[in-house]
This record gives sequence, structure tokens and C-alpha cells, in this order.
Amino acid sequence: MRRTTYLAASAAIFTGLLVAAWVTHGTGIVKDDPERNIVIPDELTSELQVKVAYDGEDIWFRYRWPVERPAIFNDVLVYNDGKWEKRGGEALGPNPDFLTEDRVAMMIDDGSVPLFSRYGGYITIGEGLTTFTGVPETDEERTKYLPSSRTDPNDFDAVKPQSDLEKLRAAGQFIDLWQWRSSRSNPIGLGDDGFVAEAREGDEGTGPYTTNFDKEAGQPKYMFNPEVAGYRALKIDEVVSGKVGFNDTYYLSAETAVPFDPGYAWKNGDTIPRRFLRPEAGSRGDVVQPAAARWRNGFWDVTLQRKMDTGNPLDDKIFRDGGSYDVAFAVFRNASTMRWHYISLPASLGLGEPAQINAKFSEPGKPDWTGPWTEVEIYYPGQITWGQLTDARVHPGADRIAQRVPVAARHTEEQLALYGVQMEFADEIKRQWIWTLIASLGLIVALGISVNLLMRRKEEESR
Amino acid sequence: MIRSQANRLLTPEFPKGRFMTPDLQRAPRIAITATFLGLLGTGVALAHGADGGVAVAVEGAPSWSLSPVYHILMAHFPVGLWVTAYLFILIRCFSDAEFAVRLQRAIWPVAALGTLAGFVTYGLGLTIYPWSAITESPLGRNHIMLATWTLSYWTVMTVLGYRFRRHLFEGAQRWITLVLATIGAAVITITGTLGGSLGGTPSLVTKSLSWIGWNVYETFYLPTWMLVVFGLGALVLVALGVMGRRKRA
Repeated sequence: MRRTTYLAASAAIFTGLLVAAWVTHGTGIVKDDPERNIVIPDELTSELQVKVAYDGEDIWFRYRWPVERPAIFNDVLVYNDGKWEKRGGEALGPNPDFLTEDRVAMMIDDGSVPLFSRYGGYITIGEGLTTFTGVPETDEERTKYLPSSRTDPNDFDAVKPQSDLEKLRAAGQFIDLWQWRSSRSNPIGLGDDGFVAEAREGDEGTGPYTTNFDKEAGQPKYMFNPEVAGYRALKIDEVVSGKVGFNDTYYLSAETAVPFDPGYAWKNGDTIPRRFLRPEAGSRGDVVQPAAARWRNGFWDVTLQRKMDTGNPLDDKIFRDGGSYDVAFAVFRNASTMRWHYISLPASLGLGEPAQINAKFSEPGKPDWTGPWTEVEIYYPGQITWGQLTDARVHPGADRIAQRVPVAARHTEEQLALYGVQMEFADEIKRQWIWTLIASLGLIVALGISVNLLMRRKEEESR
Repeated sequence: MIRSQANRLLTPEFPKGRFMTPDLQRAPRIAITATFLGLLGTGVALAHGADGGVAVAVEGAPSWSLSPVYHILMAHFPVGLWVTAYLFILIRCFSDAEFAVRLQRAIWPVAALGTLAGFVTYGLGLTIYPWSAITESPLGRNHIMLATWTLSYWTVMTVLGYRFRRHLFEGAQRWITLVLATIGAAVITITGTLGGSLGGTPSLVTKSLSWIGWNVYETFYLPTWMLVVFGLGALVLVALGVMGRRKRA
């Protein structure tokens, strides 16, 4: 072979390796790792549509989002060889049995928590929250909290004294949190009113559900009323397969349940919801639905309603005509819960004031939905904490946060979703990246040596 | 006519056996000029880079760092020079005209100046963020990766340009030169666009890369088996060089 052929071969090998690198890059590391509580959703981004209406007395939020299969059950009790066993509820990633309910949640602030308008829910994610990689399981769920509620914002246990917390609350240092649950609130037309301050909690009062299990007796407290439902229990196979739907009696409430009958001849697979739904009381009952929502044509279409002024300013953000607010959303779909949700960046909401989401003034009691939807991109956030974001040793943009540059000015939702996943494998990816850097540098040097040896000069030919 | 002029230009320009070529003798002047340009750029950046507003303490902030503006400003020099060198290579590959041959004589000095400016730019880039922070960012990692490729690649191209000059465009070698230079131009483009994305101004190039298989917001890393293939590929390249060296041209 001539030297030029060797030269061409060198160039071809180098080019071929570059193409092979392009095709194979980014593989081999990012995959589900249940041992570390890592489950990556198939879709990293999705869409939520929002409309808002108000009449001076009430305010309505309407949400619409795609769901391939609705999850209308949460945790259930299944009879098996004489015992009632719990199934469903919390799960790492999507629950394959669809026994984890769909949800939508909304955080609201009126400007009292300035960081919220710029960074949304990120400010509520401290270190060591439940389900984060490496965090040991605790009896009590370690949930969201505001940095201002801690003497050290990165220490979950460093809660400020009660007197300080009360002072913060009175100054408006909390985020209102509305929730809708497909299983634990929707069937009886309710929402759930809570807040995030020193913890994520429900408002004063009682919520829309209670536990339907008698620990001492080891059996449910209630079962379906056979005169209403036509059965005392559902069948687990039909629940899991999705055969039980909206037209069936699938939830327990005062209207559908009777006290449990332990003397009945229960069969393996008999299934009773582990939650009993009930009317709410107190401030926690402020958020309701005009009517129970239904999943139709691949979408949940949910409306939540609340008094603009609930009279509970320590629990709720009060809406006023002409006011501007900040909101951020979370959607739980594909039977996922806890941190396996899709979140939005913060968006502005205007009641008569221009904003990203413009609430429509309506006739009394008649929300006007005639305007277009506001499309909100939502994404899987991974395990990014506020401590990481504000630490210049691990986040190049920490100085921008210190300068209060909004997250939306620097990152897109897709970018944040990808970063969220990459951060879950930060050590492994960094190691592989360094090796890639070294190997590729070696390849370029080898190319240089090869080409320098093989290039010919005309004088050499004449020799 | 054109051919004969070209041949005249292709004759050796200095006697064989001299210790330094005229080009190499000019190297100190080139280096001084490049340094001066770099300092000038830094001065301009200093004059315009002052932060406004209220200074805020940042957890974990390095004791010192340079504003990105110096790196951004300086980056225009290697990019401009390397792309110019590529343009000259492109013209020379497709033309033997006197104009093309004249441009060819400028290729290696332009590439060398670009490489010199590239080292300064690379160094300035490393002073912006703590290493622990920039290597935690997928986009940061990618920018470092591509900048390293670009700098090392164009160092190789500069050496080639200096050693082989007009011979790079003789016979079939010109097409290999074209391929190698085109790869060089591609890595410059990608590095630049990654820098833009890191600065918060992603371009259409960033999106285009996504369309052809690489979302730049994910770290570019190779699976372990591919790293082994890269290692073997490097050995094969060197072996080809050693074996082919013994063959006649």
C-alpha cells in the first residue's frame, strides 16, 4: 500500500470513531435504580392547561392535562387468606397496579415570599427529604419547607423556635397549597387546602379523607353498602385492570358505605378502599369543586373553587380584584406520587392586571371559561435541592440566584428536566465524562502523530 | 498561466540547512502581538465588565474568579482566526490560483495565532467558575469537552500546517487536509454554540445538534466499551503512522 493510502485510512478511522462516539454517547449510566430510589419517567415533560375566573366573591381555577389511563384508586385493602393487606398508595415511580391516584397541586403566593416568584417550588426543597437518594426512611414524612423556617436552611431539623415561626406566618411567609386528588377528594367533589411553611401541612380543620383500617382488629372499618353498590367489596383484578370505572361505586363515603361486617364470608381478592371520604371542616375545607371531575378523552378536566377572601389569612393567600399573584403547579400522572411528579416554573397570575395567566372577571357564580387556555409546560424535576442551587461550589448559577435572576431567564423546562436526571447520576456521569475527555484527547494526539508521520513532501517523492 | 505562477510561488523560500526558518524567526513578534491583543481585550473587558446592583455573599463562592466577559471577549480571537484558517484551506483545496496559493501561505500563521489565543481563552474560561461547580453542570462539562477537543485539534492542525505547508495540498493529500480541517471547523462551531448556551443565549446550532442526536443539556460521555474502542483506535492510528512511514509515497 502507498503511504497516501495509510493516511486516508488514518483519517477514515478517526472520522469513523467520531461518528461512533456520536451514536453511542450518553448510554450505559442513566437507568432505573430502585436501590437508590431512582426511577426515571418515560416522558420528562408534559403540558398543563390552565384557566382562571373570578367574580369578586369566589375564584375558580380550571386545570386540564393528558393522562393515558386515569388512576381513580389510591391505597386499598385486599383480603388474602384471612388477612386484610394494604396495597398501593406510595410507590417508587409509577405504580404498575395503578393504585396511586392522579393529582394536581398549586402553590400560590401574593409576593410575601419574593424568592417564590423567581424560583417557584425549588425554594421548598431542602436537604434530606423523604424518597431522596441516600435518605433513610423515617416514620414521619420529611416534606417541603421554606428556607426562612430554618436557622440553617439546609438542615431539615434546624427548625426555628415557635415564636419565630408565628412571626413569619403573620408576615405572610408561607405558600398556599391547593390540591385535588382523584381518589381521596374528587369522588365527593372536594379539594384539599394546605400550605408550605415550616412543613407542608393541611390548614386548620379536617381533610377530605380518613383511614379505613382498624389496626387493633386488623380489618377495615367500613365496606361498600350492598344496597347502594350491589357488592360489599370490589375484586382486586378488576381494580388493577381498570375495569372498575366512574360508573361504578368505587369509593367509600357516608352515602356508599356501611360498617364492616367481619362475619361475612370474605374471599381472597376482595378489595375495599383504604380511605373513607368525608366532608371537610375548618380552613382546610376552603377549596372545593363545583362538581366531581371526570376523565374524558384522555384528559382530566378539574375545577377548584375557593372564596377569594376565606377569612383565614394565616392559612390562605387572599385574592383581591386588581391583585397580582404567583402560582406554580404540580401534576401527578401515570399513577405516581411523592417526588415523581411534573412541576412548572412559577407563573404570574393577574386579577385584572396583565400577567402570564389572566383571570377572567365573571358574572356572580358563573365562571367565564370562554377565553383561551394558558399552556404551562411541566417537567420532571429530579432531586435538585435549594441548598445545591445556592451553593457556588456545585451550581455555576448560584451567583445569579444571589442576584435574584429568575430561573426562567436562564433555563427552559426541558433543560431543567434533563439536568434533574443528570444530577441523579452526577458522580457516575462525571467519572465517565473525565474518562471520555482523556480518551478523546489521546485519540486526537494519536491522529496528530499518525498524520505527521504519513504526510509526504514532494521532495521525498523525488528522492 | 495560473499554473506557472503557482509553481513559481511553490519554490523553496529559504536555503536548506538553516537553523531557523524565516517564519520561525518571526515567532517572537507574533507572540508579542498576540499577547498585546489579549491584554488589550482584557483591558476592554475590565472597563466594561463591572457588576451593578448590590453585592450579595454567595455560599461557597471562590475567593477569586474572573467575570465571564473576559473569556467571552477573548474567545472571538481563536474562533475568528481558526475559521479564517479553515476558509483559506477550503479555498486552497479547490483552487490552484495565485490568490489561493497566497492565502495558503497565511494558513499556518493564522492557525498558530488562533491556537495561541485559544490557550489564553481556555485558561480564562477555567477562572470563571470553581472546577467543582462547572463540572457539575452538563452544559459546563460539554463546553469543557469541546473546548479541549478544539484546542488540541487545532494544535495538531497548526503543527501540520507549519511542518507541511504547501504539501498539505499536493495530490490526494489535499482532500485529507480538507476532511481534517472540516472536522476542526465543526468542533469550533459546536464549542462556540455551547459557550453561547452556557451564557444564556442558545442558538439554532444548539437546537440543530439536538435534531441530529445530541441534546447539549445532557453530558457527552462515552460508554466504557467505547472508551476501550477509542484507546484501541489511538493505538491503530499510531501503528498506521509508523508502518506507513516506511512505505514509498
